[in-house]
Amino acid sequence: MILTPAELSAILPLLIPAMGACLLPIACLDSDQATVKWIRASMFLIALVALTGAFFYLTRLWATGAQPSFGALHMDRLAQFGGIFVLVAAALAVLQLWDHLHQEGWVKGETLALLLFSVVGMMLFAASGNLLVLFLALELLSLPLYALTATVRLRAKAMEGGMKYFLTGAVASAIFLMGSVLLYGATGSLDIAVIGARLGQGPVDPVALAGAALLLLGFLFKMSVVPFHQWTPDVYEAAPHPIAGFMSVATKGVAVLALMRVMAVGLPAVGPRMRAALAVLAVLSLVLGNLAALAQTSIKRMLAYSSISHAGYLLLGLVAATPAAYAGMLFYLLAYLAMNMGAFGVLSAFGLVGDQATFDQLKGLGWKRPGLGIAVSLCMFSLAGLPPMAGFYGKYMIFKELILQGHVGLAVLGVLASLVSVYYYLAVPVALFMDKPSGQEQREAAERPAVLAPLAGATVLICGFLVLAMGLMPGTIMDGFARRAVQDSLTIVP
Amino acid sequence: MITAWINSHLLSFLVFAPLLWGLALLPLSERQAPLAKLLGLLGSLGVFVVAAVQLLHLPADALGQICAERFPWFTAVGIPVDYHLAVDGLNLWLVLLTTFLVPLTLLGTWNSISQRAGTAFALFLMLETGMLGALVAQDLLLFYLFWEAMLLPMYFLIGVWGGDERKYAATKFVLFTLSGSLLWLVALLYLAGKAGSFAPGVMAQTVAGLPFTTQSTLFLAFALAFAIKVPLFPLHTWLPDAHTQAPTGGSVILAGVLLKLGSYGFLRFALPMFPAAAVHFAQLLALLSVAAIVYGALVAMVQTDIKKLVAYSSVSHMGFIMLGIASMTVLGTQGAMLQMLNHGISTGALFLLVGMLYDRAHTRRIADFGGVALKMPVFTAFFLIVTLSSIGLPLTNGFVGEFMILNGTYTSSFPWGRAVACVATLGVLLSAVYLLWMVKRVFWGPANAGEDSGTAHLHDDLNVREIMVMLPIVGLIFWMGIHPQTFLWQSEGQVTRMLSEVKR
Repeated sequence: MILTPAELSAILPLLIPAMGACLLPIACLDSDQATVKWIRASMFLIALVALTGAFFYLTRLWATGAQPSFGALHMDRLAQFGGIFVLVAAALAVLQLWDHLHQEGWVKGETLALLLFSVVGMMLFAASGNLLVLFLALELLSLPLYALTATVRLRAKAMEGGMKYFLTGAVASAIFLMGSVLLYGATGSLDIAVIGARLGQGPVDPVALAGAALLLLGFLFKMSVVPFHQWTPDVYEAAPHPIAGFMSVATKGVAVLALMRVMAVGLPAVGPRMRAALAVLAVLSLVLGNLAALAQTSIKRMLAYSSISHAGYLLLGLVAATPAAYAGMLFYLLAYLAMNMGAFGVLSAFGLVGDQATFDQLKGLGWKRPGLGIAVSLCMFSLAGLPPMAGFYGKYMIFKELILQGHVGLAVLGVLASLVSVYYYLAVPVALFMDKPSGQEQREAAERPAVLAPLAGATVLICGFLVLAMGLMPGTIMDGFARRAVQDSLTIVP
Repeated sequence: MITAWINSHLLSFLVFAPLLWGLALLPLSERQAPLAKLLGLLGSLGVFVVAAVQLLHLPADALGQICAERFPWFTAVGIPVDYHLAVDGLNLWLVLLTTFLVPLTLLGTWNSISQRAGTAFALFLMLETGMLGALVAQDLLLFYLFWEAMLLPMYFLIGVWGGDERKYAATKFVLFTLSGSLLWLVALLYLAGKAGSFAPGVMAQTVAGLPFTTQSTLFLAFALAFAIKVPLFPLHTWLPDAHTQAPTGGSVILAGVLLKLGSYGFLRFALPMFPAAAVHFAQLLALLSVAAIVYGALVAMVQTDIKKLVAYSSVSHMGFIMLGIASMTVLGTQGAMLQMLNHGISTGALFLLVGMLYDRAHTRRIADFGGVALKMPVFTAFFLIVTLSSIGLPLTNGFVGEFMILNGTYTSSFPWGRAVACVATLGVLLSAVYLLWMVKRVFWGPANAGEDSGTAHLHDDLNVREIMVMLPIVGLIFWMGIHPQTFLWQSEGQVTRMLSEVKR
């Protein structure tokens, strides 16, 4: 088979990281990888080069306005947006991994290879217009993540987390597949555009409705929406910090993008009914996520519950279901990328190793590294939705569309939920700047060697800067990026 | 060239110069703290001088037009947000008060902050940006942004440099303020969606077309956010905590400016935008204000901590301001505006003086003192003048403001106006009781004989720096008491116009 240039350019963004992922295991063959620094460095370099290569290819596609497709793979603006989003998150995670894995004393090249495979799966997930390809992408992105969760496999907690993730994830995938089967049975097609057209022709078959509901469940599991969220805290706690950050950002992000596509293209006929269900789940996620996060002493568990509540905010955008709300969700995702990678990155930057990372361990650190402290505080304020940070505008755009669509009650609940969230997000700056470590803790800290995590630190600074920059120029990002991704890819029937 | 730029972008300069100056101070190290403090003081003085020189010569009738900046900022999701700043009769003096209080605060707390003083000074400057921005913003989303931006510097000032319960107080401060402002944001977005704009004028026209129940709900959402900031009884519980835990400078700015933004919000937005609802709820506001006046005074009376006493006196005095606004008379509203300045100066000064006492004695318990007048005569003189101005003695600023407010309430049109005014007058009496009783116990009589008592630690009277801080304040107290017209004539026309439109 000979590929046309358009088809090639559609799959090239996926091929570049895939090639990187295939190259990496070769470097891992060398048993010296744990001892020779330049081998380790070259592994990370390969991963970074693959990611940046794909990134530049995608930005060039975006700049030219080309939207090539290859079979069921549509590299349209939405998919390009998803690709760029995932690649940036992965690059930040790779930089953080360098420091984190050295702190853990567990530098293995396969971690990076798995990460790259997962990236490929995610990009495919955001781009596919066929249920079967969607399922393949779902598996391709999930399986490496199960393994990545258990990366530091000497720890019991890591194995437990990986296992938990795998078992629940496998069930979710099976349900997703069942949903596709039912939809195929009802409509005779796996192509979501065809499904959308056939469902729109007459009254909706109950089988198709059941299929659509099961399909959604698969997405909601990946977004960690209540009640499909139970895995989240345990898995985040088990995974290495950068991997947890990457999972929380990229998996949720592409699940949202794919769900957007499926809802807008494949299921507009059952849209109102699905949206009613989504509204209920959004409310549950907001309430449970925020309340559970209040009680956490471990930062990672707090961030896990916060990620559940952010899934709730994103779902509210799907409930509003206008082009502006979708664009708002994309802006929200960009903001979420910066603020959550910053929040997880600071754990590596301050050298908190092991599966426990508590607020107590952060005590007084802000004054030792003021730059990091300020950057991560900005990320926390942004997560809490305080202006003028990026997170505020994400919520602002979603709430505004909700109100315009008449869901004032949901908007009020959303802002009250974010009020609750302020309390636990502020716990981080409180620990960094306002708590004084006790005498015992100070002595212990003095005995530990000083942490040098230049790369992780740099990513946190970048994230802090991005959070502020997007907050000060929301219009630029919104008009140049988020809105065009929605406009050029989806036709949304209100 | 620079002066030309400043002239054409005066407000942007005033608003953002402190922020940039503060950011520039941040990298200075702990050893360079004296330099950072000096630079911070000079920067804030510079802002004050520019503001005073540039704003005071403006003619009153053209204030809103001459000194304004406006250009479209961004249009996220269809609704344009304007970068619109202006100074007019309503905010002119509050802007000047803010720029005046910040350098005084910095000078007044020069030695009180021992650790990381440079960072604290930088935060004060950043706070100034938030406050000035909120005061001059004419676009509601812009106002909202500045309103929230004030939170963070104050949060850190209380949380890092505060007392033992600082984390609790700082978090409570943020959560209380946000709980109001987030609901207000929903109302704001609802209204913006209907109006397609964040300009108060356009929104007011849209409001007029909405059913009355919607108008009232929106008004209540606005009022809640502002009332928490004021703070109006029964939403005041965050204030005593924040005040007692905040460092002296934080308390001064909190009482002096931040609280004013609540009452300013009522005047600037809540009343003109929702005239029907405002008239409907005016009586409720008046009753809550009177409750705040009496309740705050009664609680102040039983305090054992001087700072907490001053904090509760704030609740009482802010009640007067809200009463003046709720009276919906020109006299009452102008009185409220004057009282905002009075309270900013008098209570700010009281907090400064309490801070000076605390720096020496390291205690604020009233029972620890006694006989301070003998040890610190100059301090006592200043304290007495400020106290009397806070009580509202004729010839001081407090008298004029409270008189105008009570007079306005008495002549207001709602049914219980006279009764409300009479009860509120009781508040003046009560303020004399709690303040003079505190003065009696702290300054007169025998000293507390204990070895660790506060009085035993008092060795020196005020130094030159502290006297320099107090002199301009005392000067203003008398100026405002003797010739209040200086501070009123700019706003008279605007207030009259606004109220005639509200009542129509």
